[in-house]
Amino acid sequence: MEQYLPIVLLLALVVGFSVASAIGSRLLAPKRRTGAKEGPYESGIVPRYSPAARFPVRFYLVAMIFIIFDIEVVFLYPWAVMYRQLWTFGLAEMAAFAIVVFIAFAYLVSNGALDWGPRQRTGGRPPADLARSTAATVRRVPRPEELIERAGPEPRPLEPDGAPGGAPPRQAQPA
Amino acid sequence: MIQSVLFAGVGHLAQSGSGCLGPNGTSITGLCTSDNSLHMPVAYRSILPMLVLFIGALVLLLVSALLSKRSRPGLYPVLSTAVGLAALVASVWEWYDVGNRGVSTIGGQIFYDRFSVFFGVVVSVTVVLASLVSDSYLRREGLDGVEAYALILLAGTGAVLMAEAAGLIMLFLGLEIMSIALYVMAAYHRRRTESGEAGFKYFILGSFSSAIFLYGVALTYGATGSTRFQDIAGYLARNTLVHDGVLLAGMALLIVGLGFKVAAVPFHFWTPDVYQGSPTPFTGYMAALAKAAGFAGLLRTLTGALSSQQANWRPVIWLIAVLTLLIGSVMAIAQRDLKRMMAYSSISQAGYVLVGLQAGSAAGTAGSLFYLFTYAFVIVGTFAVLGLIQGPGEARNDLGAIRGLARRRPGLAMAMLVFLLAQAGVPLTSGFLAKFYVIEASVQRGQYPLAIIAMLAAAIAAFFYLRIALLMYAGEGEAAGPAPALEPAGGGAEAAGEAAGEAFVADGALTAGLQPVPSLDGATATLTWEPPPEERIAIPPAVAATLAICVVFTIAAGVSSPIIDFARHATAMI
Amino acid sequence: MTAALLAAATGSGAHLAHASAWAVFGVGAALILTGAFGVVLLRNPVHSALMLVITLIGVALEFIDESADFLAAVQIIVYAGAIVILFLFVIMFLAVDRREPAAPEPTRAQRPLAVLLGLVALAELLILSRVQHWSSGAHHVAGSLKGGEDVQKLGESIFTRYLLPFEMTAALLVIAVVAAVVLSRRHGRVAAEMSPAEQEEATLR
Repeated sequence: MEQYLPIVLLLALVVGFSVASAIGSRLLAPKRRTGAKEGPYESGIVPRYSPAARFPVRFYLVAMIFIIFDIEVVFLYPWAVMYRQLWTFGLAEMAAFAIVVFIAFAYLVSNGALDWGPRQRTGGRPPADLARSTAATVRRVPRPEELIERAGPEPRPLEPDGAPGGAPPRQAQPA
Repeated sequence: MIQSVLFAGVGHLAQSGSGCLGPNGTSITGLCTSDNSLHMPVAYRSILPMLVLFIGALVLLLVSALLSKRSRPGLYPVLSTAVGLAALVASVWEWYDVGNRGVSTIGGQIFYDRFSVFFGVVVSVTVVLASLVSDSYLRREGLDGVEAYALILLAGTGAVLMAEAAGLIMLFLGLEIMSIALYVMAAYHRRRTESGEAGFKYFILGSFSSAIFLYGVALTYGATGSTRFQDIAGYLARNTLVHDGVLLAGMALLIVGLGFKVAAVPFHFWTPDVYQGSPTPFTGYMAALAKAAGFAGLLRTLTGALSSQQANWRPVIWLIAVLTLLIGSVMAIAQRDLKRMMAYSSISQAGYVLVGLQAGSAAGTAGSLFYLFTYAFVIVGTFAVLGLIQGPGEARNDLGAIRGLARRRPGLAMAMLVFLLAQAGVPLTSGFLAKFYVIEASVQRGQYPLAIIAMLAAAIAAFFYLRIALLMYAGEGEAAGPAPALEPAGGGAEAAGEAAGEAFVADGALTAGLQPVPSLDGATATLTWEPPPEERIAIPPAVAATLAICVVFTIAAGVSSPIIDFARHATAMI
Repeated sequence: MTAALLAAATGSGAHLAHASAWAVFGVGAALILTGAFGVVLLRNPVHSALMLVITLIGVALEFIDESADFLAAVQIIVYAGAIVILFLFVIMFLAVDRREPAAPEPTRAQRPLAVLLGLVALAELLILSRVQHWSSGAHHVAGSLKGGEDVQKLGESIFTRYLLPFEMTAALLVIAVVAAVVLSRRHGRVAAEMSPAEQEEATLR
């Protein structure tokens, strides 16, 4: 059991060092807090709370890459210990496992698990509608006389839900 | 700390490795034994169908990784079908290779016997049918891609593994492989909220049941000292347990875990939601595959390893079978959604397989196997038809969607009629013989009440099967009517119209006369809403071929005997 | 080597071994409890996840104390590594890395019920441990494994008798990968490939 003493010593060292550095930095660092220093910008609206930082779920694929190789390592460990006894047989079996994991990895990469930038897959098409302009995007509010004019003489089409038509048609999708 | 652990292992290796470089080198430390080549023979032939399915899935994934996206949209279903056919060929070859003997191979983890091979055939066939059916649906819904087919093949891999398992560990692994693939398939339709909900529910409840199953494995191991079926059976044959609480608890938990997968009644609550939400062709695949594999596991466990405990598990299965039969049939009548109705119908169908299991005899097992095999064709075919008539986005799954199908698509209605009659157990279909065999096996064991309940359930179930059938053929009456029917708008009004239509159908069935269409309030009728009988349902060739196969098989298995002989030979378990 | 030097310096090796085993156990137990309390008491989910790592490391330490080296390694690699990483990913996807206000409990009697059920389970276990006469065929595994030996035994089992279950674990990994791709994909296709109706639907979602 004395072989574990180094671990205990190391642990004590680690804990001691981290605690000492935490306390030390607190004691030694100069602290003069002002509102301007704490704020993210020196001007503008002071945020009341920090916005929630959300990752796109696509990054889960990165976690998957980590997981599959992590699990493989678990099996590699006893295999490495038994390697001399298993010899080619073990090598073949471990290789089979590794190949399967590698195919999964290749599939993940082909699905963009490692493409960290913005998506470039627009299929040759322009990324946004070129017809988009301020006039098209900003919703135009019809004037009252326009509404009357529109709802006026011609019969209104029957809406599926039975509600009378005549709500101004949407000019543009909300961005 | 971790480093020290790892280095300890590596250090050991380096220390001992120096002593034995060759395979016959003498050892210095204890690590290298003198005859130091640990080796285990792997009988690949015994897992051939499973290997074909698994490697097929990997090939699909690799092909998709190497090809650019969307370069070959039609490639994956073709590949998947080919893999399924290859697995079928491998299974058939195995059937003749294994003969009537049976061995446990690969370290005692796999049974190579006709029972395994039988399920290899069932699963391969189901994979082929599902691949053929799914293509057009996935394209219609804009979901086509390699993942669907990879998941179909992987779920099949797990199912075959479950049937081949020679121990509870392997059974659990197969169960997980199949189940997790099916969870994802349930959630596959990205734009339907119901699909996501189905996947989530299936995942949560399925994981729960897997945990229960695992607890059962642990207790069974604690009671018998092994997880291998042969050893469990051997231990129980040699010893009489005076206080068998641990074993009984383990057995009960195993039944619960597997009962969940086959949707037997106290554990069936997930079924309607999941069947309703899942993409329709996948629902059919799920119903066929999970039932087959779950019952394979139950048969292996109960009639195989725990056959000496028949006095303990047969009453439990009796109760579950009765509940499954009655509740499945009765609840199906109350459903207004076709997929939900089929979900309850599949629950009630599982009841008949349980009747065969409950018999605990070779005849009962043969009946159950025959049931599972024929049911795979029927249920995949049924959901294929539902997938066609529901329209894009799974817009219509209500009973009204199928009204008048016979006039719009007589062939499709004919196929659906065959599947419905088979599920109702009408003679000259496979369903009749399937029900007959399990009930006969039950009667042979003196289970008259169970047999009577099973027949009663069939009578109850016939009601809603025939209701769908009449609804399909009722459209002719409508068409003959003087004016095209205007469908009412709005949820409540539509339901009222639905009820009126059904009343009309019932009348038509009774009097075989023409009645005027119930007058509807013309003011609420819409001109934009298209009445369904005018839609033209396109039937893709692959689905048509699948339906033809299913219909021919369903009728052929209902009139001739080779399939039941096949099932009888497959009862030769170790 | 350090340990040997230390043992030589203090003179009484056996006494020290006994004491050091207790010390390792004590440190491990302290880590486990610290981490567990931290997970429950800290408000920030990220901090809770990090406290979980401390618990898991404590458990690994206890495994080492019991000469179960492989389990210790798995504890670190799989649990402290993979599982906590997944926790952190999920926390960040859901953006709950902020101080959460104490949410009203869905079931009012939840806490007392949890305590009660815990006590019932404990009593059940204690009663069961007194009941001696339930037949069990499990082999009694006596004796302790010396360090490193358990890895060897496990390796032997995994690569011979349990070879197929080991290989089929790869199937589970493949399914996990495919599942991640399927479920993390965006709703529908790229906007440019969608029909106007689909675009409308996607916008409404």
